[in-house]
Amino acid sequence: MNGQSNEPLASSGNESVSESPVIEVAGLVKVFRDFWRRPKVRAVNGISLDVCSGEIFGLLGPNGSGKSTTIKSLLGLLSPTAGSVRVFGLSPRDVMTKRDIGYLPEESYLYRHLTARETLDFYGQLFGLDRYTRRKRIEELLEMVGLTESADRPVGEFSKGMARRVGLAQALINDPRLIVLDEPTSGLDPIGCRQVKDLMLTLCRGGKTILLTSHLLADVEDVCNRIAILYRGNIIAQGRVGDLLRESEKVRVTFSSLSTGQMEELLAAIRDKTGDTPDVDHPAMDLERFFLDVIARAHGERRDTDTGPRLPDYLKAH
Amino acid sequence: MLRLRQFTTLARLTALEAVRRPLCLLLMSACLVLTALTPLVLLHQFGEEGKMARDSGLACHFVFGLFIAGYTACSSLTQEVGNGTASTVLSKPVGRGLYFLAKFAGLAAVVVAFSLCCTLATLMAERVSEHFALTGRVAGNITDWQTGNLLLAAPFAAMLAAGIVNYFNGRPFLSTAFGYLLLILVLVFAFSGFFDRAGYFEPYSLRVQWRIIPAGVLIALALITLSAVALSISTRFSAVPTITICVCILVLGLMSDYLFGRHAAQSWVASVLYALLPNWQHFWVADALNSGGVIPWSYVARVGGYAAAYSGAVLCLGAISFRHREVV
Repeated sequence: MNGQSNEPLASSGNESVSESPVIEVAGLVKVFRDFWRRPKVRAVNGISLDVCSGEIFGLLGPNGSGKSTTIKSLLGLLSPTAGSVRVFGLSPRDVMTKRDIGYLPEESYLYRHLTARETLDFYGQLFGLDRYTRRKRIEELLEMVGLTESADRPVGEFSKGMARRVGLAQALINDPRLIVLDEPTSGLDPIGCRQVKDLMLTLCRGGKTILLTSHLLADVEDVCNRIAILYRGNIIAQGRVGDLLRESEKVRVTFSSLSTGQMEELLAAIRDKTGDTPDVDHPAMDLERFFLDVIARAHGERRDTDTGPRLPDYLKAH
Repeated sequence: MLRLRQFTTLARLTALEAVRRPLCLLLMSACLVLTALTPLVLLHQFGEEGKMARDSGLACHFVFGLFIAGYTACSSLTQEVGNGTASTVLSKPVGRGLYFLAKFAGLAAVVVAFSLCCTLATLMAERVSEHFALTGRVAGNITDWQTGNLLLAAPFAAMLAAGIVNYFNGRPFLSTAFGYLLLILVLVFAFSGFFDRAGYFEPYSLRVQWRIIPAGVLIALALITLSAVALSISTRFSAVPTITICVCILVLGLMSDYLFGRHAAQSWVASVLYALLPNWQHFWVADALNSGGVIPWSYVARVGGYAAAYSGAVLCLGAISFRHREVV
């Protein structure tokens, strides 16, 4: 996440999306019970979805809609009340499934007394990585998330954004095939958000499958191939982002520049032909792009020289 | 091989997290200071100084150890599940049973380290107090200041050294102080054994009451058993109910012989409860030491077998319970 790319985010269409599902959820129901085993909350109510290899799939929804519950069921942390969940064709309770999963939880739940480097080393050891590989990956990941300078500080002293970056690094230590990101941009500044989105796109182009949840709609729109919108435990819309957002009956024409006279002529011609008066306005840059542009100028950097996140080599090698 | 590495990694981290709790260092230091002060304040006990110092040392070991074992076991799993750290760890290829057992191993390591410190402190405290017994009646208050002061100064020296290391190297104060305290106590014990009260060389360990060691080992076994019980209960309950249940088990276990043991032959309910509750009396042998006895290692081995069997059974139940726990 060193350096930022201020180019508009690429379309999320990934050429390498395959039809083979990495995640298969069918009729998932999750009911939380109280101490006496009485039903308390029906968090997920019979949802079905497939996530294919090489795509970025977004789960959207307001708070309490069942996003995190769905993700925790996919990771085997919660047992489904009904329905089935398969990850790489196996039950998520199978420990071996988790070798190929990287998970960033909603909050960065880290051991407060460990330094950033020790944290990554700890998670590397859980994956059985040898010392050389761990050391190499840790340095690369710390550089990627911009924490090389703070690598030996306890994560308990970190700001929320910094802890989030450590969380993201630990999710990638094992070179996972499936990356599950729960609110990945939560707590990050706009530059960090942009870097995370760039990182997701880069990882996706490298063949990784990404499942993310967010209630920041712009983030999801920028990076996802497909989305599902959850509300009170039900999927109320699902499909490709472009298909869901397209207003196919409307047309927009954009000119780089147009004099007032030319515009009047064009509008008159359009009125004659269609009998309709089109809306005319000036396209506005979105606030994120404007902010990044201002910051880049303040740093005296040229946007077109930026390279985006420096992805570790082991994450590219697919 | 991967599982073994995961186990050691998780156990090491659990131990580290436990000793990085301020209460852990506070309790251990308080226990050592009380043990060290006992022979200095118990003057003129009419020949009972050694007994008083030994009883106080072992009692401090047991009581403070119960707090440390109970507190670390209750908070370790409950906090990690509650604050979400467990969900991050269990999203890696780590089995729940392995995670649970590694937690126990880490906590047991802390209890063993604490017990080692306490046993060394009790050995030294008795040596200082016996000095009073030998000389106090004849020559007044002649004190083995060398051993007594070194023992008393050990916690403060450890904290000072940890503070300096923290200032210059930024290493965590609490865990460094805990480690230094262990090291300093071993060194003090090794060093002071070479000198008599006047500071002259004497044959090593001439005045050391080695028979205290089996008593210390038995208390350590009791604390490990309590850790297993507390950890297993915490798989289903939060910290406060876990501590409450542990206190009940502790009290009932201490009175097990009186409440259930004497009725066990007549009542099957009493016999079941007598078998189910841990009998802490097996682990407390101070009275036998006071009557001049020596605790045979065969007894320690038998009680060790009891502790292992009891802890094993409780941990099996805990592992099964944690396997089905929802990690929110």
